[in-house]
Amino acid sequence: MIGNFKHIGIATVAATLLAQGAAHAQDWPSEPVHVFVGFPAGSSPDTIARLVAEPLSQALGQPVVVENKPGAGGVIGVQQMLSQADTGHSFGVTINGPLTTSQRLVPDLSYETASDIAPVALIATSPLALTVPADFPADDAAAFIEEAKANPGDIAYGSVGQGSGAHLTAELFADAAGIELFHIPFQSYAEVTTSMLAGEIDAGFMAPSAALPFVEAGQLKMLGLTSAKPFPQAPDVPVLAGQAGIPDDFRAELWNAFIAPAGTDPAIIERLNTEINTILADEALQQKLLATGWNVAPGTTADLAARIEADTALWGKAIDLVEAKDQ
Amino acid sequence: MTTLEGLAHGLLVALQPSILIYSLLGAVLGTLVGVLPGIGAMAAITLLLPITYHISSEAALVMLAGVYYGAQYGGAVASILLRLPGTPQSAVTTLDGYPMAQQGRAGVALFTSMVSSFAGAMLGILILVVLSGWLAGMATSFGAADYAAMMVMGLVAASTIGNSRPVKSLAMVVVGLIAGCIGTDVNSGVQRLTFGQTQLLDGINLVALAMGLFGVAEVIANIQGADRHGPPSRVSLRQLIPTRDDVRRMVGPILRGTGLGGLFGALPGTGSTISSFLAYGLERRIARKPERFGNGAIEGVAAPESANNSASITAFVPTLTLGIPGDPIMALMLGALVIHGIQPGPTLLTSHPDMFWGLVVSFGIGNLFLLVLNLPLIGIWVSILRIPFRWLYPAIIVFICLGVYSVRGSTFDIFMVGGIGITGYALTRAAFSPALLLLGFVLGPLIETNLRRAMLVSRGDAMIFLERPVACAFVVATVLLLIWPVVKRIIPKR
Amino acid sequence: MQRDHDDIMWGAILALLGLGVAAYAAACYDMGSLRRMGPGFFPVMLGIVLAVLGAAIAVPAWWRKGVARPLYWREALGVTASLMLFSVLMGTAGIVVATVVTTLVASSVAPRGGTLWRVVLAVVVAALTWLIFIAGLSMSIPVWPWS
Repeated sequence: MIGNFKHIGIATVAATLLAQGAAHAQDWPSEPVHVFVGFPAGSSPDTIARLVAEPLSQALGQPVVVENKPGAGGVIGVQQMLSQADTGHSFGVTINGPLTTSQRLVPDLSYETASDIAPVALIATSPLALTVPADFPADDAAAFIEEAKANPGDIAYGSVGQGSGAHLTAELFADAAGIELFHIPFQSYAEVTTSMLAGEIDAGFMAPSAALPFVEAGQLKMLGLTSAKPFPQAPDVPVLAGQAGIPDDFRAELWNAFIAPAGTDPAIIERLNTEINTILADEALQQKLLATGWNVAPGTTADLAARIEADTALWGKAIDLVEAKDQ
Repeated sequence: MTTLEGLAHGLLVALQPSILIYSLLGAVLGTLVGVLPGIGAMAAITLLLPITYHISSEAALVMLAGVYYGAQYGGAVASILLRLPGTPQSAVTTLDGYPMAQQGRAGVALFTSMVSSFAGAMLGILILVVLSGWLAGMATSFGAADYAAMMVMGLVAASTIGNSRPVKSLAMVVVGLIAGCIGTDVNSGVQRLTFGQTQLLDGINLVALAMGLFGVAEVIANIQGADRHGPPSRVSLRQLIPTRDDVRRMVGPILRGTGLGGLFGALPGTGSTISSFLAYGLERRIARKPERFGNGAIEGVAAPESANNSASITAFVPTLTLGIPGDPIMALMLGALVIHGIQPGPTLLTSHPDMFWGLVVSFGIGNLFLLVLNLPLIGIWVSILRIPFRWLYPAIIVFICLGVYSVRGSTFDIFMVGGIGITGYALTRAAFSPALLLLGFVLGPLIETNLRRAMLVSRGDAMIFLERPVACAFVVATVLLLIWPVVKRIIPKR
Repeated sequence: MQRDHDDIMWGAILALLGLGVAAYAAACYDMGSLRRMGPGFFPVMLGIVLAVLGAAIAVPAWWRKGVARPLYWREALGVTASLMLFSVLMGTAGIVVATVVTTLVASSVAPRGGTLWRVVLAVVVAALTWLIFIAGLSMSIPVWPWS
């Protein structure tokens, strides 16, 4: 009955509730919590969401249901979360794209990150690794850049799609190193890998977890990472920042974050942030995340907000670079 | 570890009671969801996913594999009885399976599909064991030009199916190719023909298309007529058993289908779809009376069913030894491995031999479960046809809706089924073949992406298609396929 | 003189569709170069081919006798409407209401009269749907209008 009354309340005094937040912190959660994921079951964002959802449901005392609404690079998941915002129990786990680049890349996007999304907590980050076939005539980033300078525009690299993190990162890297690379888009890291093995392309910006098995088998080598610090899954690979003329602050990471619709009660967001940070402190969970290629990144809601802002600017610059090149 | 030692070792792993139970559980669940139109392995696997985090990686994979195969066995049921295919592979099975059912041979058709599936899977396992190294090598040596040439050959080879006039067949293929263009263009990121619909950014939902073109169209065409035929008579065991003539006709298609499926299945991406279309197209081409196809030829059920099951076995080669999943379900299984800290890749066979060989053996056991489970069920499935159609079809419509919804949780897709269904009905009524539209839709994006990628790789030099040996072989085969009918007409005149 | 009206009509529709796609794609998308083909290249080519094929279907049909086939337009509309209603109702009114409405609309075009069997069927299908998809597969769909 309480649930019914609350719905009627939402319908009638929506304006007041928008100001106050759709649900009250004391009796929250009063029903199952829905977490929308813009990727299919079994994908990496989905795995992250499910790993967090299970302990979260124990902490909240209500089921946390992961709902897969795949499509448009994760945008559909965010849209679905927003469409259920009035329940006060609708949240999302998303990769960086829908919050940072989709504004520029998807026409007629139905939401604005700044005004429609409330950041809750960053969950995990992953760098990209500059990866080349084992027979590529360069063993580190400096030699790679030299090779590229000697043959401008000849080195073909694969990404996981036009406007993807891998594509934009590569363009930022090329810009920072003052080189020109030839872009060939693929749809997954697996396709980029096979294409490198088949000798069609010379390089790729890969998720380290996707490249590692082939590095161990001696078929690929990783020349450098795009993160600020070395990555625990591949501790021997150096970071690109500061090498061979690349600026010290060069950083381009992918991440997954827990988000809420704007207007959610700040007390609820604070509660979720605390619970998620507690969950992320668990060592076993950290190991599982690392196995799937993600490094936990605990932090405050403000940290995530700052991250979104900084990355929107960073990727925005990369999109400008790509657009300038296509002209 | 030699192959034989590996298999013996695998047998020990696979015969553990817990593994057997998970295999059986997967097989049962897979069959049940497979029988529901449109609901595929994906729905069942999503349901099981939380469990896989808590059981051993072998058990998880065995269970998911059971679901995967089970859904294929079950998927044939709705395709044959009601012309309701959940996937392009089972769409091929409808071409002759459904006419067989209409001729009162539903039992034989189902029996054939199950036995062919079983034989395809078992021989597929043999191919996997003997050739896994070679298949993995093949998967990594295929470049974009090779894929593009192969897909074009597949399109040409299969474009004769469906029994409509050639110009109408071609038109359907082209409509399918155009429909495949809808959505985000991989190469440029441009949203094509979406008219501002975010729901269309990933293209038309394949299950919605298959359900609309086949299932809904058939429902519309049958509402008035079906009840007049009277309910089919009671099915006795005799009617399930194929005649000696049937068995004789099945053997060749099963062997050829398995071979094709085993080969193409190892190529990530389209393996099982292209192989079931190709297997069907091949049988039709080499048949002495090709006009029997589309009218209830048993070869038309045996060939695609054995091909797609064989393909789904060898699809594990790239998944496990390269970490390259061929379809979303394989990607899910990959995820189940990774969460247990097992990184699929070239070193998997040496680092986790237990898992690899245990899996291979349990595929065999799982398929045995499925055969034993499904054969007795045939009688029950066939009795569905005794329900008057006017009671059946409203339920079918609701199930189609939920099946399509289960793919990606989109009500927009259900709306699309309505539009596609009425179009499909109109096209079928005008003697166009919807199977070819589906073929174009599936292969179109792959051809376009790979062709454009090949041109990028070669920096705009079209000679790449003749310089790469594999691509060149497919180009030659395509040309032969195109001129063969002409040559065949000229030769007897001399 | 008899003509194959179906083929004339469909040939024309396909030809127009092809021309439309080709024109739209040529206007909106970049054709690119041979080295980097643009997003417009394939749709334009396919549109032109479809236009030619459409003409090749329609023109000979002018001089040919067609096959008379029944046209079930009532059934087509009923089934299509029931699918679209389900899509609209599922999210808002829940699957029980959506199933009942869909079943009633779909069965309204069935060849036999009477109300009782339709109502019984609607209830049975709704119960089955709930059993299979909610209880069995635990799909996350609203069941009732208020849930």
